[in-house]
Amino acid sequence: MIAFGASIQGAEAYRRYAEPGIELAREPDSLVYAFAAVEPLARTYNLILDAAAGRDDLEALALVHAHTELTDPRFCSKVREALRDPEVAIVGCAGAWSVRGIAWWEGEVTAGALVQRYEEHGGGELPAYSWTRRGSPPAEVEAVDGQLLVLSPWAVRNLRFDEGLMLNYGFDVDFCLQARGAGRRVVVADLRAVYHRSIELVNDLDVWIAAHVQLAEKWDGTLRGAVEDEHGWKRRARRAEADREAARAIAFSTSLKLDARVLELERDLEEKTSSLSWRLTAPLRALNRWRRG
Amino acid sequence: MIAFGSSITEPDVYSRCAEVGIRRAAEPDSEVRAMPAVGSIFRSYNALLEEFSGRENVEALVLVHQDAEIVEPGFCEIIRSALADPKVGLVGCVGAIGVRSIAWWEASVTCASFINRYEEHGGGDLPSFSWAWNEAPAYARVGEVETLDGFVLALSPWVVRNLRFDERLGEFHGYDLDFCLQAREAGLKVVTADFRAIHYRQLEMVPDPEQWIEAHVRLADKWDGRMGIGAGAGSWRDRALRAEAAADAARLKDHMNELEMQARVRELERALAITTGSISWRLTAPFRRLRRPRPAAPAHLTRRSALQASR
Repeated sequence: MIAFGASIQGAEAYRRYAEPGIELAREPDSLVYAFAAVEPLARTYNLILDAAAGRDDLEALALVHAHTELTDPRFCSKVREALRDPEVAIVGCAGAWSVRGIAWWEGEVTAGALVQRYEEHGGGELPAYSWTRRGSPPAEVEAVDGQLLVLSPWAVRNLRFDEGLMLNYGFDVDFCLQARGAGRRVVVADLRAVYHRSIELVNDLDVWIAAHVQLAEKWDGTLRGAVEDEHGWKRRARRAEADREAARAIAFSTSLKLDARVLELERDLEEKTSSLSWRLTAPLRALNRWRRG
Repeated sequence: MIAFGSSITEPDVYSRCAEVGIRRAAEPDSEVRAMPAVGSIFRSYNALLEEFSGRENVEALVLVHQDAEIVEPGFCEIIRSALADPKVGLVGCVGAIGVRSIAWWEASVTCASFINRYEEHGGGDLPSFSWAWNEAPAYARVGEVETLDGFVLALSPWVVRNLRFDERLGEFHGYDLDFCLQAREAGLKVVTADFRAIHYRQLEMVPDPEQWIEAHVRLADKWDGRMGIGAGAGSWRDRALRAEAAADAARLKDHMNELEMQARVRELERALAITTGSISWRLTAPFRRLRRPRPAAPAHLTRRSALQASR
């Protein structure tokens, strides 16, 4: 039996996105563990794991974020295929190799047919992680995206999310590192889904930074290699501070380019809509709108 | 005599930008040395210093990037006035205090009297916060700073004779900060003055991130906390973990910017498609063809804050 679980913080989001996806993907005997959210997210997920762990017929547990909509009618058969290898503990729809922190997407990314659907600027959709090159699944990875975590029965019974990670970022990377530390494999399968989320992926970067540091302190030797002494830390700090300032400058350049490109299009639109012919024909367009209701 | 020097890698850029400004700013007796680059900017500028260091009549040497245009007709008088204080070694129009690295724009910028003129996306201007003093924020002022942006740099005769750019530091990045630090270590003042310039450059601030990072590290190692460069709070371990997190956060911000751009561009492209696909637009096409195109007005990016615009 393939079970589904969700931590419901916003009931509306679950109703609109996760629930229809689960309905599409589930099989007749699938159980759905839809639990009210308890902070941190790791706590709710552990409650779901505790509930599912006792099921002898459990083949997999899919933890679905409330804003993730599964769109794959073959979800269950693909999950079974991915979990055929008993060494596989976690299956995701996106993940990466060479992960060095909670920003797993800075590694070598593998992702299936994932879409990010946003509501800003009139709404639209983009391929998820469109900013980076994405390899195609299946692939073994070091960590998968917590928007969808499919766990093997072994993972459900033997691993737990770290409730000490209080800021709800990095729980996915931590869980995958635990699985790999226990000698198990983490993979990405071609599971189709839509992420319904804002363009602003993280709304409080300071909190995200604190979470990054917290996970680095827990797993640092694993993620970036051990540092021997004070001199080693100094070299690493020097490099990291330079990298930070380069990354900020690059981000600022992107925002300038954004402004320049948008300004160019706005000028074009302004020129067209302020033309005499456009203004003269405004009544016709108004009439047309009225006619169409 | 106020002399001007420029190191040239692209002669057409020099003639379009720096040469125009130097002509505008120079006095009848000014000497102008426009020299093909002889390697890194450190080495090229040192060659210019060597050329003028033995000259008794030099009141100042103004080093101008090939892509910078001085737009101040009274430039020489402004420089003379700034250098009237014998303690002043260097003068510029963009400067900051609280500087800890070559990313001086991350510090407290006090003066930024320039326009960044770009060519991408139809071109436009990014006026920095003290380009127009009547619109400048309260923190904008001229006076003593810790470092200057080197795109237009006026050097006192003492500096021309006694200081040299540190050629060990690389090809380009950080030459200006290091030179300002040397001047300050020698007891001189580094100041901004009220003149303006246009910097013709692309919107990409760090087109060569790896070189930039290496220069950042080399400069931090050279000064190693002296004059505040490379200083920071906490242990090296704390600093490393914090900076790694902040670097990833900046990259995440960059990704969000990209998503924002894609979404906004799509929105505007939809609006344009609706406009140009409408019956009324198509019906009136012959009238528009009869009209002569209007000259494009210069574009100004104004959405971002003045401080950001200086970066």
